[in-house]
Amino acid sequence: MAVVQENIQTSMAPRSRKLVKFARNNASLLLIYGLILVVALYTAIESENFRTMSNMANILRQSVLLGMLAIGQSVVILTGGMDFSIAMIARVVALVVATIFAAQASNPALIVPLIFLGVIVGVALGSVNGLLITRTHANPFIITFGMSNILRAVSLAIAQTPIRGIPKVYLQIYDAKIGIVPVNVIVMALIWIAAWLFLNRTRRGRNLYAVGGSERAARLSAVPVNRTLMMAYMFSGFCAAVAALFILSRSGVGDPQTAQNMEFQSVVAVALGGISLYGGRGSIWGTLGGVLLMTMMSNVFNLLQVNIYQQQAILGLIVLLAVAAYKSPRLAT
Amino acid sequence: MSTALEPSKSLASRFSGFRPSPRFVRSVDLAGQWAAPIMCVVVLIIAAVFAPAFFLPTNLKTVLIQLSVLGVVAVGQTMVLLVRSIDLSVSAVLALGAVVVVQTQAGNSLWIAFIEAFAIAALVGLANGYLITKRQVPPFVASFGMLVFVQGARLAYTKGQVSGTVPEILRAISFQQVGPVPAALLVWLLINIIFIVILRYTRFGRWIYAVGGNPNAARYAGIRVDAVVIGVHMICSMLAMLGGLLLSGYIGYVDLTMGADYNTNSIAASIVGGTTFTGGRGNLFGTAAGVAMLILLLNLVVVLGLPVHWQLAMQGIVLVAATALQGFRQFLLSR
Repeated sequence: MAVVQENIQTSMAPRSRKLVKFARNNASLLLIYGLILVVALYTAIESENFRTMSNMANILRQSVLLGMLAIGQSVVILTGGMDFSIAMIARVVALVVATIFAAQASNPALIVPLIFLGVIVGVALGSVNGLLITRTHANPFIITFGMSNILRAVSLAIAQTPIRGIPKVYLQIYDAKIGIVPVNVIVMALIWIAAWLFLNRTRRGRNLYAVGGSERAARLSAVPVNRTLMMAYMFSGFCAAVAALFILSRSGVGDPQTAQNMEFQSVVAVALGGISLYGGRGSIWGTLGGVLLMTMMSNVFNLLQVNIYQQQAILGLIVLLAVAAYKSPRLAT
Repeated sequence: MSTALEPSKSLASRFSGFRPSPRFVRSVDLAGQWAAPIMCVVVLIIAAVFAPAFFLPTNLKTVLIQLSVLGVVAVGQTMVLLVRSIDLSVSAVLALGAVVVVQTQAGNSLWIAFIEAFAIAALVGLANGYLITKRQVPPFVASFGMLVFVQGARLAYTKGQVSGTVPEILRAISFQQVGPVPAALLVWLLINIIFIVILRYTRFGRWIYAVGGNPNAARYAGIRVDAVVIGVHMICSMLAMLGGLLLSGYIGYVDLTMGADYNTNSIAASIVGGTTFTGGRGNLFGTAAGVAMLILLLNLVVVLGLPVHWQLAMQGIVLVAATALQGFRQFLLSR
């Protein structure tokens, strides 16, 4: 009864009330995009270089790496977990692909098989995380934290100096454009839209939210919890692999420092976007805002010439303020 | 246990379709409790067979000092884990300690530098606790943000340069020989005794276990849960600071990347020692055994002459295996 009444009230409510309600429901989205606007306007006034069209395109293009990692991280965080090994998965994938390219004398014919191989390695590493977490009921954060240590060791075992030998053709992926929009931005947008459709329009996607809201309730409502969790971690491994393939096309070498600190930045982007870090609530469009804001901030830091140590301190401060600002109450479990 | 009565099953077990035998549950429980001491012995045997250089006095001294430093940090980490929290900022605090003492000793009395250092540590712990309890930030995000911030602040303050020498008193409490053992070991024993007494025989200790076991029940029982969590975080940060002082006394200079792996190591040591991540279960004896096992293992890697990334791999494998084991044990016990 109460629900019906509420429905009638909202349908009859004046437009201003609707606006207020919209603002309240999407407070985090409005906040993040408002912040982006403020930072962009301020920097556009302060710095001439920021205003150029090429810089804008650059920001979009630079956001691909963080964007790919953050979408994987969002899905995992929505299930109430966290994937702290995401950056190291990317690093291992990048190094494996680069090593094989180098061993095969940068043969361009290998590009397609190696892209598949990279994705498979990423998904496999993600599923190791998923298996450990679902079978032992251990804390996802600590498991992936430990996995990132192991994978760091693996990456050191593969290579300690940059690996040369990526074919020239492969490098063109990064520069390719359709019209004025870079191809990798389009790819990221497609993955992003697909993820949104999946999360909001399919039953399996809703299951992710259900598991994040309350694993116990989800289990009792016959949601396949383990399969859902496996899927989330495999997806984050997949995203890490795609990110790694983009990094390779950008840098042109298999860098043993690939994706340094990116696991933390991806979590920050998710937190900034207002997805509850306890899982089950939030929209991935918020994460997109977080990604754009973080990429823009590093661009702005460079333009305004803030030194790198201060950048780190400021980043930490922003994170602490952001997580403190969104009070995300634990859902009843 | 009468079989005539309907066996009481928890909801989870009725739906998961997984019914382990009591013997299996008991053996997993025992494995969780005794993993660390058993592994210690195993590592020692491996060392005796494959690397006799392990038992040279100089190496043993190194092991004992490293063990003490990690031990002091792990005591704090265990207490934090006992209240269902986690502290990833220990490595930053640890590195900060040495910097503060070295930088401020010029022209100042040493005691002022010490008081400053511990005050800063307490402040970091307070901030962690505040974010976790009052703003309900997940503990690892709050403390990892603190890690990034403290590291950045330290680097911005020192401008990325190393400077200064370590005062004599730090050498005295860490490196100096007292009888057959280094002084750091005595510090570790002292800290252990203090906190074992606190955890076992004081009200605060009981509060910690109560809060970790069930925060809501603790709250209804009149325990000020938030205050306990914040207090434990402050203790943990101050112990990390003490660990940093011991470490800088041992290595004799202040390194920029100093103590970076103390996060992983302290958590791994606590969890191997039988502290479960869901709080309320675990004790400092287990942690001591975990610390000993981890340090022996890491030292064995060095003595055997393996490449240094094996140390990273060892840390990771120990952490993952221990977390998986304890998580599974907790899952079985709480069904």
